[in-house]
Amino acid sequence: MLDAFSRAVLSADSKNAAIGSGELAGLRAYVAAGNKRLDAVNAISSNASCIVSDAVTGMICENTGLIQAGGNCYPNRRMAACLRDGEIVLRYISYALLAGDSSVLDDRCLNGLKETYIALGVPLQSAARAVGIMKAASTAHINETNTSGTNPDETRFRKMETTQGDCSALVAEAASYFDRVASALA
Amino acid sequence: MKSVVTTVVTAADAAGRFPSQNDLEAVQGNIQRATARLEAAEKLAVGMDKVVREAGDACFKKYPYLKQQGEAASNQIKVDKCYRDLGHYMRLINYCLVVGGTGPLDEWGIAGAREVYRTLNLPTGAYVEALTYTRDRACSPRDMSPQALNELKSYIDYAINSLS
Repeated sequence: MLDAFSRAVLSADSKNAAIGSGELAGLRAYVAAGNKRLDAVNAISSNASCIVSDAVTGMICENTGLIQAGGNCYPNRRMAACLRDGEIVLRYISYALLAGDSSVLDDRCLNGLKETYIALGVPLQSAARAVGIMKAASTAHINETNTSGTNPDETRFRKMETTQGDCSALVAEAASYFDRVASALA
Repeated sequence: MKSVVTTVVTAADAAGRFPSQNDLEAVQGNIQRATARLEAAEKLAVGMDKVVREAGDACFKKYPYLKQQGEAASNQIKVDKCYRDLGHYMRLINYCLVVGGTGPLDEWGIAGAREVYRTLNLPTGAYVEALTYTRDRACSPRDMSPQALNELKSYIDYAINSLS
């Protein structure tokens, strides 16, 4: 497993060179935006169960066959497995975002995931759709652009009360990890 | 590669939980020290060639017998290899400063070094002298800020301790 710093070390080692000013600029950016990154990880992990259950609910709403007899989220046992998998994927994405590198996500989550799902008969399209909804929800939580939606009485709605600022780079990075999952399932 | 972030993530993954507040605090502590570490890494990289040359010269000044017939640096090829090895140590120290942990030195510098030096009949004392010279030669504020110097010296000491 690597983080942004050890990734730089590995690439420098393969060139047999010390890490100089050029490579350090990227790492300084990581350090400078460190608190933003920690807030972003916190935004995901604090809202994890909400993000996951919303994503699975949305996936089922778009394809109600999933919870009818013979569907892949029927009975409760398989629904629970689906929610669990959503949480696992989101957890590895939060690790990748914390590390600033996708290696932990690749090695520990995505490696063999597609093959496993095919063997178990899990519909890849539905799984990718749930990941897509998690991406939308997570980036909204990081950016604090989330809204209560069409229901004004939605009590579960919350915003993270962090300092406002430009989080576009972090949001793009987080989105790239979700895209990585989606393309691993494609 | 061991660093604060990978240690935190490995522990969280073993427990199957999202990164907790404790984990985030640990990473933040690492980030706060990072500025000094990266400064030391940059200054070391800039002065690398000079640092290596001076360290090697100090070593041969203290142990001139090494260049005699039958010793570890008896011809120019062997002398060059000595300077190359010191370059490796400095490069690994540069990496350690970047990741903020001893992972690179442990994995690429120290693991197996004792066995290699014994097999090739190389004196570890000479490496210790060269690294000690570098450690004592570095000073603040001429070379880098005090905190950066502190970080640099702690990794040089780590390498020295592994050899002695």
